[in-house]
Amino acid sequence: MDNFEKHIRENAAQFDEHKADQAKLWANIAAALKKPEPKVIPLWKRPMLRVAASLVLLLGIASFIGLSIYGGGSAETQYVSKELLDIDRHYQGLVSYQVQLVRNNPDLTEEDKAEFLSFMDELDAEYETLREEMRKNLDNERVLEAIVANYKKRIELIENLLHQINDSKKTDEDYGYTL
Amino acid sequence: METDIRFTHQTLVEQCKTGNTSSQYELYGLYVDAMFNVGLRFLGNQEDAEDIVQDSFVDAFKNLHRFKYESSFGAWLKRIVINKSINHLRVKRIPLVPMEAHEFHLADEEPEEVDAVDIQKVKLGMAQLPDGYRQIISLYLIEGYDHVEISEILGISTNTSKSQYHRAKKKLLEIISEL
Repeated sequence: MDNFEKHIRENAAQFDEHKADQAKLWANIAAALKKPEPKVIPLWKRPMLRVAASLVLLLGIASFIGLSIYGGGSAETQYVSKELLDIDRHYQGLVSYQVQLVRNNPDLTEEDKAEFLSFMDELDAEYETLREEMRKNLDNERVLEAIVANYKKRIELIENLLHQINDSKKTDEDYGYTL
Repeated sequence: METDIRFTHQTLVEQCKTGNTSSQYELYGLYVDAMFNVGLRFLGNQEDAEDIVQDSFVDAFKNLHRFKYESSFGAWLKRIVINKSINHLRVKRIPLVPMEAHEFHLADEEPEEVDAVDIQKVKLGMAQLPDGYRQIISLYLIEGYDHVEISEILGISTNTSKSQYHRAKKKLLEIISEL
Protein backbone atom coordinates (compact mmCIF):
# COMPACT_ATOMS: atom_id res chain seq x y z
CA MET A 1 0.00 0.00 0.00
CA ASP A 2 1.51 3.31 -1.04
CA ASN A 3 1.24 6.66 0.66
CA PHE A 4 -1.70 7.69 -1.49
CA GLU A 5 -3.68 4.64 -0.43
CA LYS A 6 -2.68 4.94 3.21
CA HIS A 7 -3.61 8.61 3.19
CA ILE A 8 -7.09 7.92 1.81
CA ARG A 9 -7.75 5.00 4.16
CA GLU A 10 -6.67 7.05 7.13
CA ASN A 11 -8.98 9.85 6.08
CA ALA A 12 -11.86 7.71 4.87
CA ALA A 13 -14.18 9.41 7.36
CA GLN A 14 -13.81 12.65 5.39
CA PHE A 15 -15.63 11.00 2.49
CA ASP A 16 -18.76 10.73 4.62
CA GLU A 17 -19.65 14.33 3.96
CA HIS A 18 -23.35 13.94 3.31
CA LYS A 19 -26.05 13.98 5.93
CA ALA A 20 -29.09 11.79 5.63
CA ASP A 21 -32.58 13.11 6.26
CA GLN A 22 -32.76 11.14 9.47
CA ALA A 23 -36.34 11.97 10.44
CA LYS A 24 -37.73 11.07 7.02
CA LEU A 25 -35.79 7.83 6.78
CA TRP A 26 -36.69 6.80 10.33
CA ALA A 27 -40.38 7.44 9.72
CA ASN A 28 -40.26 5.00 6.82
CA ILE A 29 -38.17 2.48 8.72
CA ALA A 30 -40.43 2.61 11.80
CA ALA A 31 -43.50 2.21 9.60
CA ALA A 32 -41.95 -0.80 7.88
CA LEU A 33 -40.97 -2.35 11.22
CA LYS A 34 -44.46 -1.82 12.64
CA LYS A 35 -46.11 -3.41 9.64
CA PRO A 36 -47.12 -6.85 10.77
CA GLU A 37 -45.14 -9.47 8.95
CA PRO A 38 -47.40 -11.46 6.70
CA LYS A 39 -47.70 -14.53 8.82
CA VAL A 40 -46.56 -17.41 6.74
CA ILE A 41 -47.82 -20.56 8.35
CA PRO A 42 -46.35 -23.55 6.64
CA LEU A 43 -49.13 -25.81 5.38
CA TRP A 44 -48.02 -28.62 7.63
CA LYS A 45 -48.54 -26.39 10.67
CA ARG A 46 -52.30 -25.95 10.09
CA PRO A 47 -54.03 -28.42 12.41
CA MET A 48 -56.67 -29.45 9.85
CA LEU A 49 -54.10 -29.96 7.15
CA ARG A 50 -51.93 -31.87 9.57
CA VAL A 51 -54.84 -34.20 10.30
CA ALA A 52 -55.61 -34.48 6.60
CA ALA A 53 -51.98 -35.15 5.79
CA SER A 54 -51.84 -37.79 8.53
CA LEU A 55 -54.96 -39.45 7.15
CA VAL A 56 -53.58 -39.43 3.63
CA LEU A 57 -50.34 -40.87 4.94
CA LEU A 58 -52.17 -43.56 6.90
CA LEU A 59 -54.32 -44.41 3.91
CA GLY A 60 -51.25 -44.55 1.76
CA ILE A 61 -49.47 -46.87 4.16
CA ALA A 62 -52.61 -49.01 4.55
CA SER A 63 -53.04 -49.25 0.77
CA PHE A 64 -49.41 -50.13 0.37
CA ILE A 65 -49.59 -52.84 3.02
CA GLY A 66 -52.95 -54.01 1.68
CA LEU A 67 -51.62 -54.23 -1.83
CA SER A 68 -48.46 -55.97 -0.78
CA ILE A 69 -50.36 -58.55 1.29
CA TYR A 70 -53.67 -58.97 -0.50
CA GLY A 71 -52.36 -57.86 -3.86
CA GLY A 72 -49.83 -60.68 -3.71
CA GLY A 73 -52.59 -62.98 -2.49
CA SER A 74 -54.85 -61.99 -5.34
CA ALA A 75 -52.12 -62.75 -7.82
CA GLU A 76 -51.82 -66.12 -6.17
CA THR A 77 -55.59 -66.50 -6.28
CA GLN A 78 -55.52 -65.58 -9.92
CA TYR A 79 -52.85 -68.14 -10.47
CA VAL A 80 -54.79 -70.77 -8.47
CA SER A 81 -58.01 -69.75 -10.21
CA LYS A 82 -56.36 -70.29 -13.56
CA GLU A 83 -55.12 -73.65 -12.39
CA LEU A 84 -58.60 -74.46 -11.15
CA LEU A 85 -60.09 -73.30 -14.42
CA ASP A 86 -57.81 -75.64 -16.36
CA ILE A 87 -58.70 -78.55 -14.11
CA ASP A 88 -62.36 -77.56 -14.31
CA ARG A 89 -62.32 -77.53 -18.08
CA HIS A 90 -60.53 -80.84 -18.23
CA TYR A 91 -62.75 -82.70 -15.78
CA GLN A 92 -65.98 -80.95 -16.71
CA GLY A 93 -65.51 -82.05 -20.28
CA LEU A 94 -64.73 -85.55 -19.15
CA VAL A 95 -67.63 -85.74 -16.65
CA SER A 96 -70.28 -84.21 -18.92
CA TYR A 97 -69.24 -86.59 -21.71
CA GLN A 98 -69.52 -89.60 -19.42
CA VAL A 99 -72.76 -88.36 -17.85
CA GLN A 100 -74.13 -88.06 -21.33
CA LEU A 101 -72.97 -91.60 -22.04
CA VAL A 102 -74.82 -92.82 -18.93
CA ARG A 103 -77.94 -90.92 -19.87
CA ASN A 104 -77.93 -92.31 -23.37
CA ASN A 105 -77.14 -95.80 -22.32
CA PRO A 106 -80.10 -97.99 -23.19
CA ASP A 107 -78.85 -100.82 -20.97
CA LEU A 108 -79.43 -98.79 -17.78
CA THR A 109 -82.78 -98.57 -16.12
CA GLU A 110 -84.29 -95.19 -15.40
CA GLU A 111 -83.91 -95.91 -11.69
CA ASP A 112 -80.17 -96.54 -12.03
CA LYS A 113 -79.81 -93.42 -14.11
CA ALA A 114 -81.74 -91.32 -11.54
CA GLU A 115 -79.67 -92.75 -8.67
CA PHE A 116 -76.47 -92.06 -10.53
CA LEU A 117 -77.53 -88.55 -11.49
CA SER A 118 -78.65 -87.70 -7.95
CA PHE A 119 -75.26 -88.86 -6.71
CA MET A 120 -73.68 -86.67 -9.34
CA ASP A 121 -75.88 -83.77 -8.16
CA GLU A 122 -74.59 -84.25 -4.62
CA LEU A 123 -71.06 -84.13 -5.92
CA ASP A 124 -72.00 -81.02 -7.93
CA ALA A 125 -73.28 -79.37 -4.76
CA GLU A 126 -70.07 -80.31 -2.95
CA TYR A 127 -68.11 -78.92 -5.86
CA GLU A 128 -69.97 -75.58 -5.67
CA THR A 129 -69.21 -75.36 -1.94
CA LEU A 130 -65.57 -75.98 -2.67
CA ARG A 131 -65.57 -73.27 -5.30
CA GLU A 132 -67.03 -70.86 -2.72
CA GLU A 133 -64.29 -71.83 -0.31
CA MET A 134 -61.83 -71.15 -3.05
CA ARG A 135 -63.22 -67.66 -3.57
CA LYS A 136 -62.90 -66.95 0.15
CA ASN A 137 -59.28 -67.79 -0.27
CA LEU A 138 -59.28 -70.33 2.49
CA ASP A 139 -56.27 -72.49 2.26
CA ASN A 140 -56.34 -72.74 -1.50
CA GLU A 141 -54.14 -75.74 -1.83
CA ARG A 142 -56.35 -77.95 0.34
CA VAL A 143 -59.53 -76.72 -1.34
CA LEU A 144 -58.01 -77.39 -4.71
CA GLU A 145 -57.11 -80.90 -3.63
CA ALA A 146 -60.71 -81.38 -2.46
CA ILE A 147 -62.04 -80.17 -5.83
CA VAL A 148 -59.77 -82.55 -7.68
CA ALA A 149 -60.86 -85.35 -5.36
CA ASN A 150 -64.49 -84.39 -6.06
CA TYR A 151 -63.90 -84.71 -9.79
CA LYS A 152 -62.03 -87.96 -9.37
CA LYS A 153 -64.92 -89.33 -7.32
CA ARG A 154 -67.36 -88.41 -10.08
CA ILE A 155 -65.23 -90.04 -12.71
CA GLU A 156 -64.72 -93.06 -10.52
CA LEU A 157 -68.46 -93.22 -10.07
CA ILE A 158 -69.05 -93.02 -13.79
CA GLU A 159 -66.31 -95.56 -14.46
CA ASN A 160 -67.83 -97.93 -11.93
CA LEU A 161 -71.19 -97.53 -13.52
CA LEU A 162 -69.76 -98.13 -16.96
CA HIS A 163 -67.90 -101.17 -15.65
CA GLN A 164 -71.17 -102.46 -14.26
CA ILE A 165 -72.83 -101.97 -17.64
CA ASN A 166 -69.95 -103.66 -19.43
CA ASP A 167 -69.87 -106.48 -16.92
CA SER A 168 -73.55 -107.08 -17.35
CA LYS A 169 -73.01 -107.04 -21.12
CA LYS A 170 -70.11 -109.45 -20.83
CA THR A 171 -72.18 -111.78 -18.67
CA ASP A 172 -74.93 -111.67 -21.24
CA GLU A 173 -72.46 -112.25 -24.06
CA ASP A 174 -70.68 -115.02 -22.21
CA TYR A 175 -73.93 -116.50 -21.47
CA GLY A 176 -74.83 -116.26 -25.11
CA TYR A 177 -71.60 -117.90 -26.12
CA THR A 178 -71.98 -120.65 -23.64
CA LEU A 179 -75.23 -121.18 -25.10
CA MET B 1 -8.11 -3.31 28.40
CA GLU B 2 -9.10 -2.81 24.76
CA THR B 3 -12.58 -3.94 23.85
CA ASP B 4 -12.96 -6.13 20.76
CA ILE B 5 -14.30 -3.94 17.95
CA ARG B 6 -16.85 -6.65 17.10
CA PHE B 7 -18.69 -5.94 20.34
CA THR B 8 -19.07 -2.20 19.76
CA HIS B 9 -22.56 -1.13 20.88
CA GLN B 10 -23.25 -4.67 22.07
CA THR B 11 -25.73 -3.57 24.76
CA LEU B 12 -27.63 -1.46 22.29
CA VAL B 13 -27.65 -4.25 19.73
CA GLU B 14 -28.96 -6.72 22.31
CA GLN B 15 -31.75 -4.30 23.28
CA CYS B 16 -32.63 -3.94 19.61
CA LYS B 17 -32.86 -7.71 19.34
CA THR B 18 -35.72 -7.58 21.84
CA GLY B 19 -37.54 -5.13 19.57
CA ASN B 20 -36.95 -2.07 21.73
CA THR B 21 -37.86 0.86 19.44
CA SER B 22 -35.90 3.55 21.29
CA SER B 23 -32.78 1.37 21.14
CA GLN B 24 -33.37 0.81 17.46
CA TYR B 25 -33.65 4.54 16.93
CA GLU B 26 -30.47 5.14 18.90
CA LEU B 27 -28.54 2.55 16.89
CA TYR B 28 -29.99 3.96 13.68
CA GLY B 29 -28.83 7.44 14.65
CA LEU B 30 -25.29 6.17 15.14
CA TYR B 31 -25.00 4.60 11.68
CA VAL B 32 -27.46 6.27 9.34
CA ASP B 33 -25.14 8.97 7.98
CA ALA B 34 -22.28 6.56 7.37
CA MET B 35 -24.62 4.14 5.60
CA PHE B 36 -26.17 6.94 3.58
CA ASN B 37 -22.72 7.95 2.36
CA VAL B 38 -21.89 4.36 1.45
CA GLY B 39 -25.10 4.14 -0.56
CA LEU B 40 -24.48 7.49 -2.17
CA ARG B 41 -20.98 6.49 -3.26
CA PHE B 42 -22.33 3.41 -4.95
CA LEU B 43 -25.55 4.67 -6.40
CA GLY B 44 -24.64 8.24 -7.17
CA ASN B 45 -28.03 9.72 -6.33
CA GLN B 46 -29.76 10.67 -3.11
CA GLU B 47 -33.14 9.02 -3.73
CA ASP B 48 -31.73 5.60 -4.49
CA ALA B 49 -29.33 5.91 -1.57
CA GLU B 50 -32.20 6.75 0.80
CA ASP B 51 -34.26 3.82 -0.41
CA ILE B 52 -31.36 1.43 0.00
CA VAL B 53 -30.51 2.74 3.48
CA GLN B 54 -34.11 2.43 4.63
CA ASP B 55 -34.38 -1.12 3.31
CA SER B 56 -31.06 -2.01 4.88
CA PHE B 57 -32.06 -0.82 8.34
CA VAL B 58 -35.41 -2.58 8.12
CA ASP B 59 -33.68 -5.81 7.06
CA ALA B 60 -31.02 -5.40 9.72
CA PHE B 61 -33.52 -4.92 12.55
CA LYS B 62 -35.70 -7.76 11.35
CA ASN B 63 -32.74 -10.12 11.05
CA LEU B 64 -30.75 -8.93 14.02
CA HIS B 65 -31.06 -12.36 15.65
CA ARG B 66 -28.73 -13.60 12.91
CA PHE B 67 -26.02 -11.13 13.91
CA LYS B 68 -23.58 -13.14 16.03
CA TYR B 69 -20.74 -10.62 16.51
CA GLU B 70 -18.56 -12.24 13.87
CA SER B 71 -17.85 -8.63 12.81
CA SER B 72 -18.86 -5.29 14.25
CA PHE B 73 -22.48 -4.26 13.85
CA GLY B 74 -21.34 -1.41 11.60
CA ALA B 75 -19.43 -3.78 9.30
CA TRP B 76 -22.43 -6.13 9.19
CA LEU B 77 -24.80 -3.29 8.37
CA LYS B 78 -22.42 -1.83 5.79
CA ARG B 79 -22.28 -5.18 4.02
CA ILE B 80 -26.07 -5.16 3.84
CA VAL B 81 -26.06 -1.66 2.34
CA ILE B 82 -23.34 -2.58 -0.17
CA ASN B 83 -25.05 -5.82 -1.22
CA LYS B 84 -28.34 -4.02 -1.68
CA SER B 85 -26.63 -1.25 -3.66
CA ILE B 86 -24.90 -3.79 -5.93
CA ASN B 87 -28.19 -5.61 -6.48
CA HIS B 88 -29.88 -2.33 -7.25
CA LEU B 89 -27.23 -1.53 -9.87
CA ARG B 90 -27.58 -5.00 -11.34
CA VAL B 91 -31.32 -4.54 -11.64
CA LYS B 92 -30.69 -1.23 -13.40
CA ARG B 93 -28.15 -3.06 -15.59
CA ILE B 94 -25.38 -0.69 -14.64
CA PRO B 95 -22.06 -2.49 -15.23
CA LEU B 96 -20.16 -3.07 -12.00
CA VAL B 97 -16.90 -3.82 -13.76
CA PRO B 98 -16.08 -2.03 -17.04
CA MET B 99 -15.63 -4.12 -20.16
CA GLU B 100 -11.91 -3.58 -20.39
CA ALA B 101 -11.37 -5.09 -16.96
CA HIS B 102 -9.91 -8.48 -17.66
CA GLU B 103 -7.31 -10.50 -15.93
CA PHE B 104 -4.74 -10.13 -18.71
CA HIS B 105 -4.32 -6.54 -17.63
CA LEU B 106 -2.81 -7.67 -14.39
CA ALA B 107 0.65 -8.38 -15.83
CA ASP B 108 1.20 -4.81 -17.11
CA GLU B 109 -0.07 -3.17 -13.93
CA GLU B 110 2.76 -2.21 -11.63
CA PRO B 111 1.69 -0.46 -8.44
CA GLU B 112 3.17 2.97 -8.66
CA GLU B 113 4.18 4.93 -5.63
CA VAL B 114 2.02 7.98 -5.21
CA ASP B 115 2.23 10.52 -2.45
CA ALA B 116 -0.67 11.64 -0.37
CA VAL B 117 -2.89 14.09 -2.16
CA ASP B 118 -5.52 16.53 -1.05
CA ILE B 119 -8.67 14.59 0.00
CA GLN B 120 -10.88 17.20 -1.62
CA LYS B 121 -9.16 16.57 -4.95
CA VAL B 122 -9.66 12.82 -4.49
CA LYS B 123 -13.36 13.37 -3.94
CA LEU B 124 -13.60 15.44 -7.10
CA GLY B 125 -11.57 12.90 -9.02
CA MET B 126 -13.76 10.03 -7.81
CA ALA B 127 -16.88 11.84 -8.92
CA GLN B 128 -15.49 11.85 -12.47
CA LEU B 129 -14.62 8.15 -12.53
CA PRO B 130 -16.74 5.69 -14.49
CA ASP B 131 -19.17 3.78 -12.23
CA GLY B 132 -17.18 0.53 -12.12
CA TYR B 133 -13.91 2.28 -11.29
CA ARG B 134 -15.54 4.44 -8.63
CA GLN B 135 -17.07 1.40 -6.95
CA ILE B 136 -13.88 -0.57 -6.71
CA ILE B 137 -11.93 2.47 -5.46
CA SER B 138 -14.64 3.04 -2.85
CA LEU B 139 -14.63 -0.58 -1.77
CA TYR B 140 -10.86 -0.78 -1.43
CA LEU B 141 -9.81 2.65 -0.27
CA ILE B 142 -12.81 4.01 1.62
CA GLU B 143 -14.76 0.99 2.83
CA GLY B 144 -11.49 -0.79 3.58
CA TYR B 145 -12.20 -4.18 2.01
CA ASP B 146 -9.39 -6.35 0.70
CA HIS B 147 -9.43 -7.92 -2.75
CA VAL B 148 -10.77 -11.23 -1.49
CA GLU B 149 -13.75 -9.45 0.09
CA ILE B 150 -14.24 -7.29 -3.00
CA SER B 151 -14.21 -10.37 -5.23
CA GLU B 152 -16.98 -11.84 -3.06
CA ILE B 153 -19.02 -8.64 -3.07
CA LEU B 154 -18.76 -8.07 -6.81
CA GLY B 155 -18.76 -11.71 -7.82
CA ILE B 156 -15.45 -11.45 -9.65
CA SER B 157 -12.08 -13.16 -9.21
CA THR B 158 -9.47 -11.74 -6.86
CA ASN B 159 -7.17 -11.11 -9.84
CA THR B 160 -9.87 -9.17 -11.65
CA SER B 161 -10.44 -7.15 -8.51
CA LYS B 162 -6.71 -6.33 -8.30
CA SER B 163 -6.29 -5.43 -11.95
CA GLN B 164 -9.51 -3.44 -11.93
CA TYR B 165 -8.43 -1.56 -8.85
CA HIS B 166 -5.04 -0.68 -10.33
CA ARG B 167 -6.61 0.61 -13.51
CA ALA B 168 -9.14 2.62 -11.50
CA LYS B 169 -6.43 4.07 -9.33
CA LYS B 170 -4.37 4.98 -12.40
CA LYS B 171 -7.36 6.72 -13.91
CA LEU B 172 -8.11 8.53 -10.65
CA LEU B 173 -4.55 9.80 -10.41
CA GLU B 174 -4.71 11.02 -14.00
CA ILE B 175 -7.87 12.97 -13.24
CA ILE B 176 -6.43 14.36 -10.02
CA SER B 177 -3.25 15.48 -11.79
CA GLU B 178 -5.35 17.47 -14.24
CA LEU B 179 -7.35 19.19 -11.53
